[in-house]
Amino acid sequence: MKENKQGTFKRLLGTRGMGAVITAFAGLIIIYVAFGIIDRNVFSGQNVMNLLRSMSKYLLIGVGQSYLLITGNIDLSIGSMVGMSAMISATLMTMGIHPMIAIVVALICCLCCGVINGILVGKFKLPPFIATLGTMFVSRGAAYMVNNNRNTDAIATGIGKEAGDRFQNFFYYGKTLGIFNTFWIALILFLVFFFLLSKTRTGRHIYAIGSNVDAAKLSGVNVVNTTIKAYLVSAVCACVVGLILCAQAGMGNMEAGNMYEMYGVAAGVIGGISPLGGTGLLLGTFAGAAVWQTLENGLNMIGAQVGIQRLVIGIIVVFSVLLDVVVRSGNFRKKANS
Amino acid sequence: MKKKLLAMFSCAALLAASITGCSSSKPAESAAASAGSEAAPTESAAETTATTASGDVKIALITMDSIDQHWVTLNDGAQKAAEELGVSVTFMSPNTKDDAQQIECVNNAVAGGYQAIIVAANGPDAISSALKEAASSGVKIVYVDSPANVDAEATFSTDNEAAGKTAGEEMIKALEAAGVTSGKIGIVNVNAATDSTVKRENGFRSAFDGKGYELMETQYGEGDAAKSQTIAENYITQGVVGIFGCNEGSTTGTGNAIKASGNSGIVGVGFDKSDAIMNLINDGYLLCTMAQNPDVMGEEGVKAAVKALEGESLGGAVQDTGVSVLTK
Repeated sequence: MKENKQGTFKRLLGTRGMGAVITAFAGLIIIYVAFGIIDRNVFSGQNVMNLLRSMSKYLLIGVGQSYLLITGNIDLSIGSMVGMSAMISATLMTMGIHPMIAIVVALICCLCCGVINGILVGKFKLPPFIATLGTMFVSRGAAYMVNNNRNTDAIATGIGKEAGDRFQNFFYYGKTLGIFNTFWIALILFLVFFFLLSKTRTGRHIYAIGSNVDAAKLSGVNVVNTTIKAYLVSAVCACVVGLILCAQAGMGNMEAGNMYEMYGVAAGVIGGISPLGGTGLLLGTFAGAAVWQTLENGLNMIGAQVGIQRLVIGIIVVFSVLLDVVVRSGNFRKKANS
Repeated sequence: MKKKLLAMFSCAALLAASITGCSSSKPAESAAASAGSEAAPTESAAETTATTASGDVKIALITMDSIDQHWVTLNDGAQKAAEELGVSVTFMSPNTKDDAQQIECVNNAVAGGYQAIIVAANGPDAISSALKEAASSGVKIVYVDSPANVDAEATFSTDNEAAGKTAGEEMIKALEAAGVTSGKIGIVNVNAATDSTVKRENGFRSAFDGKGYELMETQYGEGDAAKSQTIAENYITQGVVGIFGCNEGSTTGTGNAIKASGNSGIVGVGFDKSDAIMNLINDGYLLCTMAQNPDVMGEEGVKAAVKALEGESLGGAVQDTGVSVLTK
């Protein structure tokens, strides 16, 4: 039995992409400790809870974007879908509509956008960059128009203070078992999508079309359906993040989610998801999102200069991608030689 | 894998170097809040706000962004007062005007053991919940420039409506002196959501009550000088006799548009002060600008925060830090 356990552990370590994940987590620990040494408050329980909560947004966006990256595509519209979700849910609630209905409507709108993305890229073979660039503008435009080019009023004005507080507590301010609800929501969704990606046939298909779409098609993978499914995952993630942002501010902001699509790519790439498609573990996205948030949190706590965070993240992202390419070409050479 | 680890280490080293090089001189307060206390499940009654009597008072200054000259000047005023009073003020603003980021800053300030927060809220509602949580943890709140819907110790801001009215009156004076008693007036504002600029517009419009000018529908340039210039140019094409810019970017754009049009008869009045705006005024393309006093806001804000921390009750007083009419 002991041998079996060792074998499983080794197999786990040897999973393709695990090296990147471990590196990402190592980097995370280094960065966190470094900040903690500079300002002890970084280690405080309250700060850790804040970190977990703020990280949740990037984690979810990272998961959504990772699904697309693994298929060899991208979703530039994910950030705008966040804004659309925040604005739609907030506007409906300020009109007095029950939060549950507002959430469902926001979800349906995001899913529609996801389906459109999937069809444009999967069926009509539009380059994903262009297709999702288009839907990005459309969703952002929708976010602006939902409330007539204005940010919404506080949601409490429509659904009342109690219901408003309930909504805000559920998605952002409330805690369960000492940890903010936001993190639980993100964690549960992460586990669901992790399971979907690693243990189901859909997940295997997603990796397949990322590695080699023609070979996948010949093996019987339904490329169109799989692509649509990937974009739907991204849409669901965007919708939830939009709800979180709406709950955080207690109102809808037209610019919500601005640039999030890029943060999603960064989180995925830092965690070892290859932008070329076909490899990468969602666990890496978790580390990537944590690295991002720890940097943002730490730099803010110590009052560091504005541009530093962008600079550092950019360097780390470039390094991660560079290494991925180097390691890949190294692997190919090894295979060719053996 | 080795290569990756090496890269990660060098990144971390680079990061550490850049941080220690560029961070503000904040002493690592190990005394303050390293209470790794398990946060209470329902209340955020954090024990982290240290009420040290040893005089290490930490104040967080959170404005709408960390880049605009207005906020930088506010911070300068705050730092000056901080030095005089022997407290530390950390400028913890987000990169750009973003509700989510500003909320994070407030949360970080509370977690970081700051005893007081001086804040220019993006809007009356957005950060209110976060501020309420901060207040219930014992953190003192002082508003500068823009308040939120949470009770605070004091507010130091420009009475935007009065200032807007002054701007309108200046424009009317100039127009009547030139013999222009009717015509269209354009307004370049930021957006419909920013309370301060909306109040300025309201004040401006109120100055025109009973006058024979036609106030056109306001256009929004997001405070971006380029966008504002395009809007102003459109107004000029429509034959306006005067244009009002509601903030720094809007004013710069308005002045540049009047300059580009070559029509020096158009009366341009603006808000906020910058080198660009002063140049436009000196060259005659803008009549005047309402210069706020952000440094006074910062200074008074810090003084009020310190008073509040010493136990004095300021009762939420709102103080107008005023505007100066800057002309050639």
